[in-house]
Amino acid sequence: MIVTFNRSAKLVKVLDALDAQTRRPEVILVVDNASTDDTQEVIEARARTDLSIRYLRLPKNVGGAGGFHEGIKAAYALGAHYFWVSDDDAYPEPDAIERLIHAINAFQARNEWRPSFACSRVEWIDGTMCEMNTPRPVWDWPRFLQPDAGWALVDSASFVSILIPRWAVGEHGLPIADYFIWFDDAEYTRRLSRSYPGIYCPESRVIHDTPDNRGVNFGLVDEKSLWKFKYGARNETSWRRREAGIMGVLAYTYGVHRQMKGGNVPWRLRRQIFRAIGGGMMFAPKIVKV
Amino acid sequence: MTNMTAIIPAGEETAEHIEREVSEIISVYSRLFPTQALNFVFYEGKDPVWSAPSVVEGPFTFHPDHINAQFLGQVERPGAHPGAPTVTIRVSIPRKPLPTELKQTEAPWVPVRKLRAVHRLAPLLYEKIRYQAEMLRKQRSPKRHPRFSLPRGDGSALFPSLRQSNSDKRPAILIGMHWLEVGGAEKLGFDTIQWALEAGLRVFVAAGVPSIQRLADKLPDCPDVTFLRLDRYLPHHLWPRYVENLILAENIQLIHIHHCRPLYESLPQVRANLPWVKVIDSTHIVEYADGGFPRISGVWSNFINIHHVISKELVDYYRDNFHVIGKVRLGRMLDRTDHQAGLPELNMQPGKKHLQVAFVGRLYYQKRPVIVAEAFRALSIWAKRNDVELAGKIVGEGPFLDTVRGLLRRYGLADRVELLPANSPVPDILRQSDILLLPSNNEGLALVCYEAVEQGCIPISTDVGSQAEIVPPDLLVPLAPHACVKGIVGAVDRLWRDADFLSRQREALVSSWSAIMSEPTAREILMPVYQEAAAGVLE
Repeated sequence: MIVTFNRSAKLVKVLDALDAQTRRPEVILVVDNASTDDTQEVIEARARTDLSIRYLRLPKNVGGAGGFHEGIKAAYALGAHYFWVSDDDAYPEPDAIERLIHAINAFQARNEWRPSFACSRVEWIDGTMCEMNTPRPVWDWPRFLQPDAGWALVDSASFVSILIPRWAVGEHGLPIADYFIWFDDAEYTRRLSRSYPGIYCPESRVIHDTPDNRGVNFGLVDEKSLWKFKYGARNETSWRRREAGIMGVLAYTYGVHRQMKGGNVPWRLRRQIFRAIGGGMMFAPKIVKV
Repeated sequence: MTNMTAIIPAGEETAEHIEREVSEIISVYSRLFPTQALNFVFYEGKDPVWSAPSVVEGPFTFHPDHINAQFLGQVERPGAHPGAPTVTIRVSIPRKPLPTELKQTEAPWVPVRKLRAVHRLAPLLYEKIRYQAEMLRKQRSPKRHPRFSLPRGDGSALFPSLRQSNSDKRPAILIGMHWLEVGGAEKLGFDTIQWALEAGLRVFVAAGVPSIQRLADKLPDCPDVTFLRLDRYLPHHLWPRYVENLILAENIQLIHIHHCRPLYESLPQVRANLPWVKVIDSTHIVEYADGGFPRISGVWSNFINIHHVISKELVDYYRDNFHVIGKVRLGRMLDRTDHQAGLPELNMQPGKKHLQVAFVGRLYYQKRPVIVAEAFRALSIWAKRNDVELAGKIVGEGPFLDTVRGLLRRYGLADRVELLPANSPVPDILRQSDILLLPSNNEGLALVCYEAVEQGCIPISTDVGSQAEIVPPDLLVPLAPHACVKGIVGAVDRLWRDADFLSRQREALVSSWSAIMSEPTAREILMPVYQEAAAGVLE
């Protein structure tokens, strides 16, 4: 399941990468966030000859979060056993999906715990690790790590080459569409991890073709990226409030403050971020079950 | 006890009628239960179309009502071996339809009781209320009638896959129709029967809705065509097993569904047990209330190989609601051989003193006959003001006939607007007409629009379905009743006054007609699949 918006050229490269997979998904669902470029024409042309491609065009741009919400909902209705979820600018290596499927099943067979997701190693175009797609390990992350099975336990990962089993969606519902963008993947994977953490599978690799390799750090807020950081601040505050109460929000706010101070972010921008945190206190989107 | 002869019109011997019905019933159930011992219990039916069958598999105990006043008798068909299980089929023998029923089964339309006075005082207001109710249903439809395809698994390679056994019979097709009555989907259904024969397939036809099936005698008179009266004798829940047995016995390679609900419901049986059979369906029109057959078809999409559609609206419908693109094929309901190379000049000329306006369509609510009458009324007022002599022709039959007749009489139009039967020569009428009115509530892509354009008649249509594909934007009118009538008069007025406007409309009509004519026809889409099935090389 690929969520896309106005990046038809990159999307085509993703579809080409999927065609080259050693374990190609039976159905490829392209969720189009009402693109205004030639995405629709490109996908329709491809889907006329490739019956496995399904095209879900949303009536308006509901952000990445809305797209992943709608996409997983539609894929669940289609009866998929596993959902491989990714961005429209991430190119999986030919064996990336096969290795994820193998890892999640082998882990379960060896350890009798079923991971709630499996995520790939996401690399930037120069081969270094993609900062924004760094999974978060749990405290006992190396518990089942073996030389021949280097799968670390993680409880948070991004929607870039992540494999989610059907049971996890059935049990925990869908990503929160109201987040619009940012933190939807972190919230969702942490929610899935309530059953059992996911696994990080470094042998499954994808190349994330982003303009630059920046992490999620409030010290990097500038005029251009402010809008995204505001969504991130609001969404994470909402999640902290839900999971850890007011003390969680205070700790988060302090952390954001430290990052912005360290990055010497102008006070004009800092105020907007703090305002977004204030908004997040009141923001309590519903979790939709399937 | 009632007497069968009392309710069967003279002209056919009762015994003969019963014998023929019994033989068809036994044939249907023998196919369904080939090895079981069948015990048929027959009753005298009150219904001309439905036999109200009830099937009990296993031992059967008679109760008093099983041998009631309508009880006729029993017939036994032995099983394949002495210990064969018993199946009891209780079935009424439908009576022969009365002459009036043969003509028209549906009673004349009457307004709903509570709004009867509204209709009497202001028919257009009544239409507005109905329109608003319909739009409300449309708004609620997505919640009430979900639009997602039923999931279907392909199974695991660990288990043996089913393989088709060789048959010495020539490949066949099962064509499922809604019914064999007049309609657009049925026209395509009959065309496909003809194409299947041409492709070399044997054809089995079944209908999903019990009816008199007035067009049954229009089926090709050919030993390769068999009409199975499942609509009359077989409950829907038994269709899947019947269809499975039929496919196996008759080497059916292809199923083509034309709005046939029980055949859709048979698809799990087909996919589970006969995965090699290819399934096509054809859909025409999205209904406001529940999405109609395109929605049903989309729900079954994972069980269907090819969705044939007649308009771009439907291509978009499958994409937007069911995310399917690759297996949707657009094939226009056109026959290239019937169509001329170019289009004639328009019959209408600016400032013409005599205007002829036509309506062609079944007089059902979908075509909004009341709006047609109201449009004629408004046009007659316009004509009087502009010193134009207006004449009209309404071609069609249906439950609204009496209502339309009454309204025309009430508006003093009875002598100017002629009511003609459905079998009137439509091309001739369109050739003599300047304007064709199509104020339909809903349309796929009305065939009569093509015909009108080819006869130089200008269609003015509501902006519904795919009508915008053939009717230029300036000749599309709103769906809301008052705005519709006003729009029709406005369009006629502009066509009549403005020569430039008229000429632009002709150019637009020629352009859209040519674009549609350049697209594949239904025959061109379907024939290769039929030919592959006939050759036994379906993928």
